[in-house]
Amino acid sequence: MKEGFRQSMAWLHTWSGLLVGWILFMVFAAGTASYFRDEITLWMKPELHAAAPARVSQAEAIDLAQKTLEQRAGSSRRWFITMPSARNPALEAGWVPAPARGADPQARPKRRTFGSITLAPATGKELGKARATRGGDFFFRLHFDLHYMSALWGRWIVGFCAMSMLVAILSGIVTHKRIFKDFFTFRPARGQRSWLDAHNLSAVLALPYHLMITYTGLVTLMFMYLPAGVQAVYHDRTDAFYADLNGGPAADAKPSPQLAPLAPLGPMLDEASRIWHGAPVGRITVNHPGRANASVNLVLQEGRDMTQHLPNLSFDGVTGKRMSGAGAEGGGAVQARGVMYGLHVGRFADPLLRALFFLSGLAGCAMVATGLLMWAVKERPKHLKARQDGKVAKVGLGLRLVDGLNLGGIAGLLLAMPVLFWANRLLPSGGTGRADLEIACFFTAWGVAALAGLACPARWMWRVQLAIGGLLFAALPLLNAATGGAGLAASLKNGLWAVAGFDLVSLLLGMLLLYAAYRLGSRSVPRARLAGSAA
Amino acid sequence: MNDLHTGLHTGCLALAALAAAIAGFAALSLAMDRHWEQLHGRWSEPAIPARQWLRAGGTLGLLASLAACIALRGAGQGWVAWAGMLTLAGVSLALTLSYAARGVTRLGYGAAIAAFVASAAALVT
Repeated sequence: MKEGFRQSMAWLHTWSGLLVGWILFMVFAAGTASYFRDEITLWMKPELHAAAPARVSQAEAIDLAQKTLEQRAGSSRRWFITMPSARNPALEAGWVPAPARGADPQARPKRRTFGSITLAPATGKELGKARATRGGDFFFRLHFDLHYMSALWGRWIVGFCAMSMLVAILSGIVTHKRIFKDFFTFRPARGQRSWLDAHNLSAVLALPYHLMITYTGLVTLMFMYLPAGVQAVYHDRTDAFYADLNGGPAADAKPSPQLAPLAPLGPMLDEASRIWHGAPVGRITVNHPGRANASVNLVLQEGRDMTQHLPNLSFDGVTGKRMSGAGAEGGGAVQARGVMYGLHVGRFADPLLRALFFLSGLAGCAMVATGLLMWAVKERPKHLKARQDGKVAKVGLGLRLVDGLNLGGIAGLLLAMPVLFWANRLLPSGGTGRADLEIACFFTAWGVAALAGLACPARWMWRVQLAIGGLLFAALPLLNAATGGAGLAASLKNGLWAVAGFDLVSLLLGMLLLYAAYRLGSRSVPRARLAGSAA
Repeated sequence: MNDLHTGLHTGCLALAALAAAIAGFAALSLAMDRHWEQLHGRWSEPAIPARQWLRAGGTLGLLASLAACIALRGAGQGWVAWAGMLTLAGVSLALTLSYAARGVTRLGYGAAIAAFVASAAALVT
């Protein structure tokens, strides 16, 4: 090795971080938003804001829901039911429709259309029809599936970036000579030094989180990235593998031609809750309802244990008798994967832990963003010097490209995210393809911002994009109140914390972005030192 | 225990965990040359016993924060909560040291008192 170990790690840190940084920023930002996936979905369906949480027992709620489902989806092959929880007061039900009569049951339709309804737990009646929207699921999917491409490709790309991130974190630890001496150090208004401090601070103070989230992110998709182990045992029968992993009957069993009424679900829920020491049931799957081979699978409600591998119980759908034991616990490997998976998605977290996860996620965004900006900040003086010496007439292509991508990737995304919420409220609530149209608005805004950034990577462009993003975010509470949602006054009064929290966090983020835009224009900051001052 | 009661207990423990972490980090930062100089002038240095007391007290604060987190969320999730609390406390302290360094002693004492009061309240509720 010609250079020292630390220098070579510095090189690795720079390039493993820079080349995937723009995707990583999106993954971090969308992933951080996903901690509040349920809350975002609720905010994006203002029709549901009025539904007050009703206190009925799970058995009562499921018996009412069962009646509605037997009417609406009696002939369907499978029902999926999500019981009401603290974060979502409604009962959500979906079903796979029965194949059309006469159609070949083996032939899979190109795109299966799922039916779904949202029920009021206390009455079993359908809640007011909410607008079609992907809600918080969009950011959740975006952060590992990407969009406008097959999910498989998206996952490989994100997996590559995450692996690169892991390399960047580990090499960054080696490179950072003064982890403990600079533990609390931030020196503002000192140009390059300030950027480095901000990068170190956001990285070191949330280091356990960064390591955890990157590593466990890879673990969530490990069967895709490292398929050899599963293939060696199961060959191509992946359905059987997942049935073994998650418990419950294999998903591809055929419905029996014989009809038999479905046993009431309420007593099954009571029995499951008794076995789980009073903990409530979360998800319910009913296979072949109304057939002689009907079966019911109950999964413990999330929000308690850290593991995502939740215990489940199976019941005979006709006799109502329990078929499996207290729920497969799985071996050590299954439990380890369950906990890592659970840590990544954070569904177990109470509001306090969720807020801490969210803050750590923001630190991750800051770490990636400052890292990207720092490359440009370090590179710029060299270019300026070369220009002064008369060696080159223009700023180099590499720096210009990074400047443009930084603008589009960071400020552009922060502008596009609130555009999604504005589109959610301003597009007419009927019409086909409405959910996709919202998403098209998001990508259009991002695309325009990115093109503008690439065309003109100047400081004023940063100010403009940050200011627009800030205004759009900060005005979301007003938009919410004006377009049929529960405004801040109403949501705080009625204890609708999910909606109130969304509004308040948006307001805060908006003010933060506006402050950043303002600071970029203030004269106290040495001009040549800041990013985006190439023009 | 009713809802309000549980909420109060949880709130007190969470406050204790955060305040103890801030107090602990404040003490540990003052045991470092750079931050001691910020308060007491350039080239000054804490006396050796003072530095040792700061380090011991700081470590104790962080451990107290861990204990509160474990009391709050159990042995498994407590560690996760502690990591988050340390991040939040660390960022607060770093910002205080950069923008209001003189206030760090007051912040440390205030946080220590808050941690005592909150943990006492958590024991009662």
